Amino acid sequence: MAKSFDKHILKNGMVIIGEPMKAVGSAAFDFMMPCGAAIFPQGCCGAGSVIEDWIFRGAGKRNSRQLCDMMDGLGLHRSTSVGSSHLSAGAVLESSNLEQALELYADVILRPTLQQEQFELARQLAIDEVKALDDDPRQKVMLKLREQFYPSPLGRNVVGEIEELKSLTAEKTKQIIKENFNLSQTIFAMAGKYDFDAVCRQMEKLFEANTREAAPPFKIGVGGKKYTHIHNDGAQVHIALMTETVKPTDKDYYNARVAVSVLSGGMSARLFTEVREKRGLCYAVSARYHCLKDAAGIMCYAGTTPEKAQETIDVVIAEFNRLGDGISEEEIQRAKVGLKSAVIMQSESSSSRAGGIADDYYILGKVRSLDEIKRKIDAASVDSVLQFLRANKFRDFTVVTIGPKKIKHGI
Amino acid sequence: MEFKKNILPNGLSIIGEVNKSAKSAAVGFFVRTGSRDESKEVNGVSHFLEHMMFKGTKRLSSFEVNEAFDRTGAQFNAFTSEENTVYYAAVLPEYLIEVINLWIELMRPALRDEDFNIEKNVIKEEIAMYKDLPGHDILEKCRKLYFGDGPCGNSVLGSDESINDLTAEQMRGYFASRYAPNNMVFACAGNFQWGKICSTVEQGCTKWEKQPAERKLEDYLGRIKKERIEKANLSREHICLISPAVSAQDKRRFAAAILATIVGDDVGSRFFWELVDKAIAETASLQFSPMDGTGAFYTYISCDNQNVPMVLDAVKHIFESLCRSGVTEEEMRTAKNKILSALVIKNELPMGRLVDLGFNWVYSQQYRTIEDDINAIKGVTIDEVCSLAKELKPGQFTQLSMGPAK
Repeated sequence: MAKSFDKHILKNGMVIIGEPMKAVGSAAFDFMMPCGAAIFPQGCCGAGSVIEDWIFRGAGKRNSRQLCDMMDGLGLHRSTSVGSSHLSAGAVLESSNLEQALELYADVILRPTLQQEQFELARQLAIDEVKALDDDPRQKVMLKLREQFYPSPLGRNVVGEIEELKSLTAEKTKQIIKENFNLSQTIFAMAGKYDFDAVCRQMEKLFEANTREAAPPFKIGVGGKKYTHIHNDGAQVHIALMTETVKPTDKDYYNARVAVSVLSGGMSARLFTEVREKRGLCYAVSARYHCLKDAAGIMCYAGTTPEKAQETIDVVIAEFNRLGDGISEEEIQRAKVGLKSAVIMQSESSSSRAGGIADDYYILGKVRSLDEIKRKIDAASVDSVLQFLRANKFRDFTVVTIGPKKIKHGI
Repeated sequence: MEFKKNILPNGLSIIGEVNKSAKSAAVGFFVRTGSRDESKEVNGVSHFLEHMMFKGTKRLSSFEVNEAFDRTGAQFNAFTSEENTVYYAAVLPEYLIEVINLWIELMRPALRDEDFNIEKNVIKEEIAMYKDLPGHDILEKCRKLYFGDGPCGNSVLGSDESINDLTAEQMRGYFASRYAPNNMVFACAGNFQWGKICSTVEQGCTKWEKQPAERKLEDYLGRIKKERIEKANLSREHICLISPAVSAQDKRRFAAAILATIVGDDVGSRFFWELVDKAIAETASLQFSPMDGTGAFYTYISCDNQNVPMVLDAVKHIFESLCRSGVTEEEMRTAKNKILSALVIKNELPMGRLVDLGFNWVYSQQYRTIEDDINAIKGVTIDEVCSLAKELKPGQFTQLSMGPAK
């Protein structure tokens, strides 16, 4: 059988992992650098949004325009994001252009120009993005939920706070980049069509052999308020809630995933059936597993008109609590098939695989094979899932609402 | 890749593109009906009907339908637009026949009154949800402004009023007139055995009766209007501009796609450099939306209220210089590369391929390989793009903005 993963460590400590895919002509890659929102100094909330824009505004010998034109000319589709632990800079493109793309990314990571006037523009856009979030309550409520649920600073808002962005300086931001674009702690993941040896040789040349220590671990505090309401005279109350569950390293991880799938996997799952199909309370209602390296939870969203908001959250929480009372064999089977199909179908997309193996490597220290995931999902049963649920009762829920009306929660 | 087709005597088109190296397959029924096929009295019925198609048949309850799909692990759903209603599923090959049989059965639904009454609440929640998404809300409202009272201006979701007034009887009538086999296409892409698929669909659909299901295609030219809506809870100014473009059947659609990329792609376009890069607007994009017999360019911009004059000034200059000086060879090269790589990447997934395969058939009764589309994009000349810009005059647009009190 062909090797399912490639791995190589550069002299500087950067880990290169790859998943070859026979059926595609594209290549996707992702630089996962330890420059996430949780590590930023106090008062710098939103620095990540500025950085992910600023580093592309000129690098190496190219100005902003030239760099962008080069990338566009390669047919490269950029995806850059800031999470709790990392800043990810990646792209997907036709594999024949991969070598040139990596050269450009080496410039962006090692030699961004970081000019003052470009900083002002990047910061202004970051401030505008925060303001624009007010007009997208669904996205905003999930961001606020993470902020309240995860122990500080893990859930720190990745979009930013306006006041902190206003006082952020180019000097301070440069320093954050310098300290945290640490190649020794960077994971480079790729998936699709590539020549692994050639990429490793090229990467060794592009990124020189300077090893550096990891940043010292930061202190993890506590979560925020159990209920937060943000008033907005919109049409709906946007309800977000989250409750703690096991992390991916836990022996019960797959039991948790199957349990969430019983709750909200397909359209026959409990939340959709009880909230939407039987009661017509919502159009959108769903729950999913969400994790960081050091904490995990089940995250749920429901949007509904104000007069139905209380009933909606009551039904949702009742469904969480009822889960441990009993699950049928049929429900478990559907949950397992759904999870397995989703995993297999995701494996057809080079960009979702590059992101997936990077997360795996960061959280688990290894990449899980498709077979391993399927085997572990298969091992879950009614008994194992119920046992897990009974031993890990949903104790409390962090709730955030945005809309014209508050709900009663946790009083 | 191998293309297959079979047209049943009742007019149902069955088409497939086999890709043996795929791990999954995607299937769908494409129904040539949407909000532009609705009369004012039943506005929103196409989309509401799409929801009701999941509510079961004489044999199956809605809960049994959901369970039957979930047993296969399929990623299934549907969407409704101005002119299409598409039911699709991405699924592993071993469950494909089961999923196809389920779709076939659902295409002849029960449309029960009690399900209709519950689902009405869900539809109204969906309408409320989109009111809280101004970026979406404004496109619908601006389309109405542009197309006026013509059917292309109909809202896909309908309004609270039109949904309240709609009866199950009206919906059953609409279904009977639009879901005729000759107005539907069954498409399949990915890893599957054509013979088996074809006989399954043939067996399941052969009794469906052919009937007239025409679409009126007259007088769909847009108008030039300008309006603003004040909405106190908004924080940004949302601006939508619509101007005429070519249709989904027009050969110049590839040139129009290139034009849209040059002017308004997310990054690296004229909008991007003049508006986003300079931090005058956080979002600015222009999209080409080809339709049946007509087409439109949609611009969407979101910015600070105070920047509106600057934004509109920049947009004016961009469109003026486009018509006056055209585009450059460099811009052509870049836009083509962007479109081509997006096309190739999208089509690597059976679901992405299904959409192109189905719509090519719906609009032109034509099979186009990915290579056909690649060659069509590569073959567009700079003169074609420039003369299209001159002819369509994108600077003459209908404008709707929505934002907080000034």
